[in-house]
Amino acid sequence: MRASYRHAERRSDLVVSMTPMIDVIFLLLVFFVCTASFRPPEQILPTQVSLPGSEPTETPPDEEFEDLDDLVVKVLWRQTRPVWELNGRQYASLGEVRTVLEAAQRVQPGLPVILNVEPAVPMHHVIDLYDLCRLVGLDRVQFAASAS
Amino acid sequence: MRAPNHLDRGTPGFNMTPMIDVVFLLIIFFLVSSHLARQEVEMELNLPDAQTGQDADPTDLTRRLVVNVLPEGGIVVGGQPLAPDALSDMIAYESGRGRTPGEPLEVRIRTDREAPYRTVEPIMRACARAGVWRVTFAVVGD
Repeated sequence: MRASYRHAERRSDLVVSMTPMIDVIFLLLVFFVCTASFRPPEQILPTQVSLPGSEPTETPPDEEFEDLDDLVVKVLWRQTRPVWELNGRQYASLGEVRTVLEAAQRVQPGLPVILNVEPAVPMHHVIDLYDLCRLVGLDRVQFAASAS
Repeated sequence: MRAPNHLDRGTPGFNMTPMIDVVFLLIIFFLVSSHLARQEVEMELNLPDAQTGQDADPTDLTRRLVVNVLPEGGIVVGGQPLAPDALSDMIAYESGRGRTPGEPLEVRIRTDREAPYRTVEPIMRACARAGVWRVTFAVVGD
């Protein structure tokens, strides 16, 4: 009688019970689904802000470059699309602006660029241009501030 | 001699399983809720993309003011909508409020792709006036 009982117990041990494993796996699945952020990681784009009268504390502008020309890029807004203006010439695409900026970088590396943007321009065009300047190698980009 | 009774049998083996269940559940709850709480700080905005963006250093403990700019041009700081004038006052106040004198302040501008430049320009001007030299834009890598 006793022997047959132990035999039955041993047999039930051999059967692998799936339920706790499934419990744990579901719990892990729910945990990872909840914690996964489905957003692309955010990056940062450092800028230099300068105004006459403001005192730079960390990156003082080099004295020797102060007298050199800088490149002013205007971004104009024509109803629905932006127009870029460099040295009085207007460009309709960012590709053409890139060619000019690359040429400028070849002639005078590290030339300061000043972005003069019209108020109505959406920010992604501004960031695109700023990004382009950095990509070409013109790192000294400043934003023109209208006096008001 | 003590008479064995069936009530005694339960006491020596203390059952840990329900306690472990509950403790694990609590651990997972706090992990998930802290993660979600961190995500909620970052407002849902359609950030512009850039190729030269840098990864933000999570160990950078610079004091930071995050300014969100909505597509229509509204400004939100710390979940509160703010007028442009109030924001420039805030930047000026925060820049002079470091733990040590001269401690830098970083202003991070999280602007929507479609926000007009006229909203962002006063923010940058306020930073320059207040002597805040670190202004960064939040972007999404390509």
